[in-house]
Amino acid sequence: MTPLPIDIRLKVNGEPVERAVEPRRSLVDFLRHDLGLTGTHVGCEQGVCGMCTVLFDGEPIKSCIMLAAQADGAEITTIEALNGEDLHPAQRAFKEAHGLQCGYCTPAFVLTTVALRERGLRLERDELKEELAGVLCRCTGYQNILTAVESYLADD
Amino acid sequence: MLERYQGNARLLAGGQSLVPLLNMRLMQPEAVIDINRIPGLDGVREDNGWVRIGALARYSAIEWSPVVGSRLPLLSEIVRYIGDRHVRTRGTIGGSLAHADPTGEIALAALALDATIVVRGPSGTREVAAREFFLGPYFTVLEPAEMVVEVRFPHHQMVTAFAEHARRHGDFCVISVAALGEPAGDGGWKTVRLAVGGASHRPFVAEAASAVLSNTALEPDAIAAAGAACVDAADPTDDIRASADYRAHLLPIYVRRVLGEMKTRRRQGAT
Amino acid sequence: MTRVEDERLVRGLGRYVDDIDPPRLAHVAFARCPYPCARIASIDASRARDLDGVLEVLLPDDVLGRTGPISILRPIPDAPRVMPYALPREVALYEGQPVVSICATSRAIAEDAVAALDIDYEPVPHVSDVEAALEDDAPVLHPELGTNLLVQNPRGEGSPDAGFADSEVVVDDRFRINRVSGLPMETRAIVATYTPGVRELDVVASTQAPHLFRRQLSDSLRFPEADIRVATHDCGGAFGLKLGIFAEDVLVCLHALDLGRPVKWVEDRMEFFRAATQARESLHVARMGAASDGRILAYTNRYYVDLGAHNSPMGSPMLSSLMFQGPYAFLHGYVERNVVLTNKVPVGAYRGYGQPEGCFVRELLLDRIARRLRIDPLEIRRRNFIAPDQMPWQTPGGAKYDSGDYATCLEMAAEGIGYAAARERQRALREEGRYTGIGVACYVEMTGYPGSKFLGKHHAEYGAHEGVVIRANRSGGVDLYTGVPPIGQSTETAFTQVAATVIGLDAARVRVFAGDTQGTPVNTGSFASRTLIAGSGAIQRAGREIRDKALRVAAFMLEVPVDGLELVDSVIRVVDDPQVSVSFEDVAVNAFYGHRLPEGEAPGLEATAYYDPISSAFSYGTAAALVEVDPETGEFSLDRFLFVHDCGRQVNPMLVEGQLHGGIAQALGAALFEELVYDADSGQLINGSMIDYFMPTTADLPNIELDHTELHSPVTPMGVRGIGESGTIPPGAAVANALCDALAPFGVDINRLPLTAEYVWRLVSQAESRGGWSGEARPRL
Repeated sequence: MTPLPIDIRLKVNGEPVERAVEPRRSLVDFLRHDLGLTGTHVGCEQGVCGMCTVLFDGEPIKSCIMLAAQADGAEITTIEALNGEDLHPAQRAFKEAHGLQCGYCTPAFVLTTVALRERGLRLERDELKEELAGVLCRCTGYQNILTAVESYLADD
Repeated sequence: MLERYQGNARLLAGGQSLVPLLNMRLMQPEAVIDINRIPGLDGVREDNGWVRIGALARYSAIEWSPVVGSRLPLLSEIVRYIGDRHVRTRGTIGGSLAHADPTGEIALAALALDATIVVRGPSGTREVAAREFFLGPYFTVLEPAEMVVEVRFPHHQMVTAFAEHARRHGDFCVISVAALGEPAGDGGWKTVRLAVGGASHRPFVAEAASAVLSNTALEPDAIAAAGAACVDAADPTDDIRASADYRAHLLPIYVRRVLGEMKTRRRQGAT
Repeated sequence: MTRVEDERLVRGLGRYVDDIDPPRLAHVAFARCPYPCARIASIDASRARDLDGVLEVLLPDDVLGRTGPISILRPIPDAPRVMPYALPREVALYEGQPVVSICATSRAIAEDAVAALDIDYEPVPHVSDVEAALEDDAPVLHPELGTNLLVQNPRGEGSPDAGFADSEVVVDDRFRINRVSGLPMETRAIVATYTPGVRELDVVASTQAPHLFRRQLSDSLRFPEADIRVATHDCGGAFGLKLGIFAEDVLVCLHALDLGRPVKWVEDRMEFFRAATQARESLHVARMGAASDGRILAYTNRYYVDLGAHNSPMGSPMLSSLMFQGPYAFLHGYVERNVVLTNKVPVGAYRGYGQPEGCFVRELLLDRIARRLRIDPLEIRRRNFIAPDQMPWQTPGGAKYDSGDYATCLEMAAEGIGYAAARERQRALREEGRYTGIGVACYVEMTGYPGSKFLGKHHAEYGAHEGVVIRANRSGGVDLYTGVPPIGQSTETAFTQVAATVIGLDAARVRVFAGDTQGTPVNTGSFASRTLIAGSGAIQRAGREIRDKALRVAAFMLEVPVDGLELVDSVIRVVDDPQVSVSFEDVAVNAFYGHRLPEGEAPGLEATAYYDPISSAFSYGTAAALVEVDPETGEFSLDRFLFVHDCGRQVNPMLVEGQLHGGIAQALGAALFEELVYDADSGQLINGSMIDYFMPTTADLPNIELDHTELHSPVTPMGVRGIGESGTIPPGAAVANALCDALAPFGVDINRLPLTAEYVWRLVSQAESRGGWSGEARPRL
């Protein structure tokens, strides 16, 4: 029995999107392969590594463990939303702090940081580490990522 | 809908436990029923001596709720140990209870705080005490066509404390202990309750240990006896995170630490 | 200088393999053996072939006749070459080994088809650890060898037995190093497209060495290398794991050749844990003897590498032998590498390549001697260091150190960690029943290779050189072509800097095109901390050629003598009269047109150059750690971690720090959290998922403090030494030494990894029940 496709209507980076998706299609696969937004990456499909982070109604989530159908009615933000000729301040903060090496986790950290700033809190480094613990990085040892995030959060 | 699929469908709430299992093909249900849109299931409110939390309340909402912070500080404290920010954005209290991970922090909080879990199914609504809800690892009293709709926590005036040992941050616990104590006027304690996670096939209230501690001043002997009683009640297993021996070794030490913290918090004026 | 890579990477515009989605793309999934060792009795693929969307099924018979084995890039000296084919003929030798390859119109369908296969496996006896594998009655993985001991490589000098006999104290132990995974965030991935008639096999792969990949594919596919293109546009981390081709790469290419349409495989994380190259597992039986003043008189290490079922392309980690002596001047040493086959995933290169393991064993034994003799661990190291004026130094392990000042790094580490104050605090806290500890570990690291001839002698399938093409463009800059792919190590930025400096250009005018075999000179790749050494040499040569020609042409255009000219910031001008100038851009345009060139000067402005290093360069340093331990539970906190190092001249200090942070994080992960655990009975991997493999998060690691010295190497261009792997080498040892130091009153000695709270608790319990010192000490009268 082939399951029927599900019609979804959502906003992705501010643009309306209407598609029919297979029930088992994950949100990350939908974004990457149906919409061609390859800035969001896949690292585990187990909800651990966080490479697939996108913002769902402004909050960071792991899109590998969300079914595309669940995003009906939602506003999804991917890294591409920040892209212009000039870097978004969060992106610039990562570049200036050398907060990336291979770049695979970078969109995930940048989006998580942008969402964090929206909450408007003052956070100590330990609290910051907690807020970022949902995304893994194997290249940087996290040091410069923390520097980048601190600098972006402090910047008015 | 659940009835229609006769046990071959799974409810999808936060999806933080379910979808990884689907991705790994460890679970292959015929249908997945997304309940995220059911209205009225996600609130946190006070009602006549109870804090009522809808099954779809997200961990983050619970973490940031002022009602939970003031009325149920234990829950507020415990929820921070779950996963990470991303997981807490989506994961729900109802989903956690239904999933019934033996190391689950929410389950431990529900037991410790003597919660009532409200369940609804085709034959109506029923209330199950947290102590009766968990039957074993990933196994609860829920019938195939039932779902959790709400969790109710009674108001209390107890001082609370919590600690867990885990292999890494945000990970499933190796063991966890929650303690609640009602201060007595003479500097001692009236009711004291201990709940333990990760040391058995389900989290449990350590009844014998709690009895040993109630109506005492929590002297070292009482605490040691409580620790021993917890070990007696526990049935830990070996797994990738720790051996049964180590869990049994840590348990009384964590009991001691948590009770010590509880005493400290009383001195510092916390309720 | 910030990185040129970042503009695309922070925007999510990196092009990793899975980002490439050509039309008519087909996908591959593999049936993988679920047993550690099993005979493949029969395979029935009929139901699989019948599924809608299945394009091709490859069984062992389909593959064995038409492919060659997968070559070994870095053979183990004197070892028989056990080279696997893409699919096994009769017996699968490890859980996760591919047995059938299926290509379909989607990955999901390919997986459904794999589930529809009927494979009759007959499990046969297996071995899962080196000791069982070496027993007389052990099942032999490769019958033609008659044994699971692939090879034994002894080396050493002097007579250790005499050294031990003269020793005041001798300590020995068996050290178990854990099996871990490099765990890059991007798994292995490949897309291959074959255009029939045109005869082009176009491959995009996540690999560290596209040119080597190309060569190996050619050999295995029996397809002319000239008709294969391999490119890596961006790679999400490699760390040694993506060196060379694997069975899956051969199989994907076969599907591509057969189907004439693009074929992609992206490893999912569950496969990764059971099939991607694993690392480090070994048993070290080591012994160290010292005189009463702590000078090492002899050191031996017989170690057993758990290789897994066959060679990976980089063989076994080689440098536990070559670098076993570290920074110490002892003359009697013996190290023996035993490479043992077991029914597990093949072990290969992982950052450090054997040096972390060797450093761990040596530094822990040295500290034991220090404790037995009651000599301060800093002091015992001072007494043993090779002095700077003794360089170059030939070691018993066979390495020739170029230069080094080990004592200064040690002093800086001691100063930086606040050693004296920490000792005071330790004393005071012990009275309160609290246990803090200070640990140090020193290392020397081999970076780069001592030339291609050295590798030739060792039958490596690659050279030590790098080559670059640098070509002026008509926008005032140059295009630099290198076969080194971007794997996170900032090659594009480093090469930009070097080229700009050597030629005299604005760095913003240098463009680097990296990682594509089409258009780049044959080169080696990004591993062995060699890229900057060899690459900078090649860029220097090519850059100088370009600059010299640009000056000659400019001299002709300006009608001035060439000697009086300089090229700075993309402008060529007369030194004594800077108004007389011409831009590099105008010179290049002129050279392209060939309109106004001196007699005998050909048009064009470009150069190709190769550089072969003459020697490895040896980085070095000291790691220091402060811990506090609760002996009751074994729980401990790593309160401070400091790393002082020397990597020669630092072309870009920011990049150096980044490499160290990353290496140290991996070292702490492997030392404190990570382990791939195989069940003793079933031989299967117990924790093959991200949920159960404990890679550290932001919240698990301490802040990493760095300091350095900068002693230029006399044997490399620009005096650089490699830095990519340094961070992985001493941290585990430093933390272990700190724990033993904290628990010295209990008499605890550590001999395994990872250092979990439970392990520490067991050590304390055992020590308490023994009532005193653990380990062996033979004081001489």
